[in-house]
Amino acid sequence: MLFHTWIFVVFFLLAYPVYLAVKATRWREPWLLLASYVFYAWWNPLYLLLIARCTLMDYLAVLLMARSQSRWLKRLWLSLSIAANLAVLGLFKYAGFVTDNLNALLAWLGASYALPAPGVLLPVGISFYTFQSMSYTIDYYRDQIQKEPNLIRYATFVALFPQLVAGPIERAANLLPQLRRPQRISRDDLTDGLSLFVVGLFKKLALADYLALYVDKVYDAPAQYQAPALILASFAFGWQIYFDFSGYTDMARGIGRMMGFRLMLNFNNPYLATGLGDFWKRWHISLSTWFRDYVYIPLGGNRAGSFNTYRNMVLTMLICGLWHGAAWTFVVWGALHALGRVLTRRLESTAFYRQKVPRPVKQALVFAFVTFAWIFFRANSIGDAWLIVGRIFSGRWADPAFPLLALGLVACVWAYQHMHESGARRVLRLAPVRVGIVVFMILYLAVVAGGGAQPFIYFQF
Amino acid sequence: MKRQGPQREIQPQPPPEYSVAYASHDVRLSWREWIVAAALVGAVLGLLPGQWERRERFQPGEDYRIPYELGNDYWLFGRYGRLACSQNKTLVIGDSVIWGHYVTKEHTLSHYLNAFTGEQRFANLGVDGIHPAALAGLLEYYGRGISNSRVILHCNPLWMASPEHDLQQAGKDFRLNHPALLPQLVGSPGCYTAPYSDRLGTCVERVAPFRNWARHLRAAYFENADLPEWTVRHPYDSPIQAVRRGLPSPGSRAQGSHLSWQARGIVEHDFPWVRLPTSLQWKSFQRAVRILRARGNRVFVLVGPFNEHMLEKASLATYTNRKGEIQDWLRQNDIPHYVPPALPSQYCADASHPLSEGYALLAAELLEQKSFIRFDTRPAGRRRPPPASAR
Repeated sequence: MLFHTWIFVVFFLLAYPVYLAVKATRWREPWLLLASYVFYAWWNPLYLLLIARCTLMDYLAVLLMARSQSRWLKRLWLSLSIAANLAVLGLFKYAGFVTDNLNALLAWLGASYALPAPGVLLPVGISFYTFQSMSYTIDYYRDQIQKEPNLIRYATFVALFPQLVAGPIERAANLLPQLRRPQRISRDDLTDGLSLFVVGLFKKLALADYLALYVDKVYDAPAQYQAPALILASFAFGWQIYFDFSGYTDMARGIGRMMGFRLMLNFNNPYLATGLGDFWKRWHISLSTWFRDYVYIPLGGNRAGSFNTYRNMVLTMLICGLWHGAAWTFVVWGALHALGRVLTRRLESTAFYRQKVPRPVKQALVFAFVTFAWIFFRANSIGDAWLIVGRIFSGRWADPAFPLLALGLVACVWAYQHMHESGARRVLRLAPVRVGIVVFMILYLAVVAGGGAQPFIYFQF
Repeated sequence: MKRQGPQREIQPQPPPEYSVAYASHDVRLSWREWIVAAALVGAVLGLLPGQWERRERFQPGEDYRIPYELGNDYWLFGRYGRLACSQNKTLVIGDSVIWGHYVTKEHTLSHYLNAFTGEQRFANLGVDGIHPAALAGLLEYYGRGISNSRVILHCNPLWMASPEHDLQQAGKDFRLNHPALLPQLVGSPGCYTAPYSDRLGTCVERVAPFRNWARHLRAAYFENADLPEWTVRHPYDSPIQAVRRGLPSPGSRAQGSHLSWQARGIVEHDFPWVRLPTSLQWKSFQRAVRILRARGNRVFVLVGPFNEHMLEKASLATYTNRKGEIQDWLRQNDIPHYVPPALPSQYCADASHPLSEGYALLAAELLEQKSFIRFDTRPAGRRRPPPASAR
């Protein structure tokens, strides 16, 4: 069930009034859980088995940890829980990738045998809810949170429908207390939630899906295009994935807000970042902080000298790349970001970079690098990615035929973001400006935007 | 170190990211501002389609028919219907047989009716591919302006010629015409498999005039594409210029070559006719008649003509039966009608479409029918009960 479809509207119109009626009673969590499971089962009811397994196993792991007197026994339960989660994730997400690569290796070695394709479909959102549930067991092990005794509440934390399939990846420390305390929904929660939802809807339908038309055309047949079209399509994809994913997050946060939940900010104008470190503090914040807290820091973080710091950064970025998808293109994308971080970490901390290099230059450099890395993220194969890079640097000219209207819309958004982070922000806060923007967005969605319900890019992860 | 018990008193410490403000933008309205925004949006969406209709140049000339490429533009159908009603014309409604698939607009049934009567009295409201199930939807949702008029409604038996035509099953090359006009949630045909989200969207379009108007813009000015899609096709063209070019010219061209069915290489055929009591298309046709009559229209039904020369013997017998059943229902319901005899074989382009000579012959025959003369001369309009003094 996608947020921008009519079926979701009907679902929400049915689920929300009941939620409002029961929010102060003991039926709140059961109702939320039921609604969340219906929301998820809309894709495939069998997927519920996976989410139930994840929920039960981690709930049980924490129960067992709570009863364990020794640290090593706690560590054992945690390890089993993590191993089980990663095994399921590996089976559903990476089995095909591993099999393909093993078969390629066997063929290269001249073997006549090939492993059969596993033929499992990737359940939507499995990476998100698995990580969310894992963070609960790890945080408990680290004594950072309390045990949640109520299974229904814990299941609701794992499956809460606004953020179930593509985040933000919430932490138990933020969401479980909100589930525990009586919910109060103020008028501001409703209006803020609605505002967030409309912005998210506009980002998705008016911007991301629009840019996708051009990006898909070029990236599905890159050999037919020359440098200008490939460069523009790569930049367009950078914006498309931002609008697509941050649009989803805005809608998720908006729905959550209308229900009285405050979900974490996931994007903070990432294309205004002035360094790669800054970029990762602004892009997919819930995932980057997850990797920071559960991968980078446990590996040693920056505490054991430069070499180990760089090694930890590289490993974290490679795992982050692989998290996004089971393909070499994602590994290369992660490796590029790792390389970028390694090369620029020292530079970004110098006084010269911070004080002498003009801010727009830094922003442009980061944006250019991030866009370059997106080529590997979006390309259908490594071969396509190299073809695109080769053609971009060949410099052969051909009319890119990029729609001017799309260019204008993206330029408006960029200008808005610049204003938002500058002294001109007070203009954006004027009531007529805000109302005008909302009216424009709704009218655009009603009359101009495409009617199709394209899935979100991040659903595949 | 041994712990004192399984429950620990640990205050949760949310990561610092949670302290970040509302969003990475300032688009945040208070409830008062939302009311203002909703009023503005409502006013624009409520007024724009009507204002557009006033400003858009639409002057259907003689023998106008809705351009072929605007077959999905139900807003234009409604507008043309209202205009024709206001000019006191008799509306000729049906599928591509009425539209005139194999002939130019100067050789359609409505053209010959106009030519033989010497007046521009008949308006061609044919829509290509509109089977009865879709036609009933078209009239119900987009034909509200058609009221208190004379309507010639065409009944094409082809739509009952097989389970596939009758939308009971979908064959290999099956293509469902006008799905947006079918029942979406209850009573939709089995071969209609659109996701429920799309169906709900269609239902919204029926009750929100601006959605239908937006569809008109897409169909009339942007090659049946959304504006974004159109700009990808025409990256440097101005959408405003596209709108200024005006509506496409009326469907002058024929959509198929002017050849008889035999010249096309079509051979005799055995149609697996469906039974009328179980036919979705027949029920839909009956519904279309009821909708029109409920709106005060005088309805005349033209059944066929069907190319009987193309039917194998057994198939012809079944067709004759079906024709009789249709006629019985029309008689029982006091609906004036005409079931023409088969046209000469060389005047038929395929199973149901006449060629221009066929249309001329059909028009001439129709104008001679007593039932048609009565229909054509009586004023249309809602029957009012006689005044109390006359009872």
